Amino acid sequence: MATVDERVRKVAARVLNVDPADIRPEHYFAVDLGAESVQSIELVAGFEEEFGIDMDEEEALAVETVGAAVEYITRVCREQGADIGE
Amino acid sequence: MRLILFDRDREIRSRFHPLTLSRPIWDLRCGMTSLAEKLVAKVGARDIACFVPDYMAAACRAKTPWRVNDPAALKGDDLLLVDPRVKAEGFAVPAQGPSEVAVDEEGQVLYARVARKDLASLATDDLGKFLAAAHARLPNVTPNLPTWRWIWDLMQANSEQLVADFRAAGRHGIEGTVEQPTAILGDKRAVYVAPGARVHPMVVIDAEAGPVYLDEGVQVYPFSRVVGPCYVGRETVLLGAKCHEGNSIGPVCRIGGEIECSIIQGYTNKYHDGFLGHAYVGEWVNLGALTTNSDLKNDYSDVEVIMHGRLPIDTGSSKVGCFIGDHTKTSIGTFLNTGAYVGAMALIMATGKPIQKFIPSFAWLIEGVVTKGFGKKKLYETARMVMARRGCAWTEAEEAMWDAVFEMSKARRDELIKKGRMAMRKL
Repeated sequence: MATVDERVRKVAARVLNVDPADIRPEHYFAVDLGAESVQSIELVAGFEEEFGIDMDEEEALAVETVGAAVEYITRVCREQGADIGE
Repeated sequence: MRLILFDRDREIRSRFHPLTLSRPIWDLRCGMTSLAEKLVAKVGARDIACFVPDYMAAACRAKTPWRVNDPAALKGDDLLLVDPRVKAEGFAVPAQGPSEVAVDEEGQVLYARVARKDLASLATDDLGKFLAAAHARLPNVTPNLPTWRWIWDLMQANSEQLVADFRAAGRHGIEGTVEQPTAILGDKRAVYVAPGARVHPMVVIDAEAGPVYLDEGVQVYPFSRVVGPCYVGRETVLLGAKCHEGNSIGPVCRIGGEIECSIIQGYTNKYHDGFLGHAYVGEWVNLGALTTNSDLKNDYSDVEVIMHGRLPIDTGSSKVGCFIGDHTKTSIGTFLNTGAYVGAMALIMATGKPIQKFIPSFAWLIEGVVTKGFGKKKLYETARMVMARRGCAWTEAEEAMWDAVFEMSKARRDELIKKGRMAMRKL
């Protein structure tokens, strides 16, 4: 099973139209990956669909980097019992 | 005698959504005035009370001098309780007389006239129980009372109602300023320009087919054409608008582009070009430049509106535009489908093609799919800012009402958000 990090990068790559291999944990979605405000909404929807979770909009949109997204999504998956291969 | 307007039945109220998500049915407009103003004038009442759903009671109290959801209003005087769906023009029931209750074919009380002497047998603090007891114990009558059935009834009756309301208002002539050259076509007695209203040069007011009423403080900018019947509410500005027949535009709006046979509740911006036809638009709406709705299908068949998010209702009319709830915003270039239902507090981003016919309240439509966007707090922040620009306050009562609307609309919205996530994956 792919890791949370791999799955986050896969969604980010699809929404932001970048190569997953070029996405690093320290990357800011807006500054480094070029996410516009509308795309941040698409990212949230994409993560929710990928992991089968429901994220709080404000919490989710406060996440700025890929690494922070991995941490946040991991926490939400645990809270909501979503399968992340643990 | 006390007039009591009541609007508590959830299913009936939903027939007037999305506008009644945030107001009672009687605050809806048709012609120059609201349904309440017409009923109050018809009945000649001075002592008025009302009953609304609990979730909007506090917000309503801030907007009306009437007693709201006060059980004491059900005591101490002769009462005339009226369902605001009853059309005032057809309501010829004397305000005082022996007790009687009129019920429609669905078993809903349309009015109850209760003589003071009969109140003791109905004593209760609950309006629903009061009406049920009145129905059960007092003489029932079956008058043929015309009623408003769906929200589009108001839009369809608007032209006729405008003519009737203009006549009832009894005003005509120029009390404001009409700069020259301005062309007034038709009977000059069919035009009223209120004090403080200003018609700039190069405007056409066409009253050949119906009256034109420009209320206090209205500004009509050059190159506007205003065709009657038409009512423009106080402090509204027409910006070179092609204002075809049959429009009721509430107070403090900014209206440009093309508009036909539509009702705008008030405080709404449609500043730029774009067509709005056979529509009913709420308050604090912003229609981005070139936002356009269809009001006629290519096959000229009757338009269906998806009410409650599921059920297509045949309007019985081939000319139906859109219904837009309060605080909704559309981006530039938004295309609204024929009979579109757009909930309140929604945010629409254009897709380049007509969007789906049902958009739930608090939805953020991105790339044609329903998302939860930045959430309701962001929408509230925007609402607060927008209202402050017009000198109005976003209150705690208002926020509590919208929180309730958020919950009421949650189930269907969440279903569509879930579908939206899947759709977004394929984009």
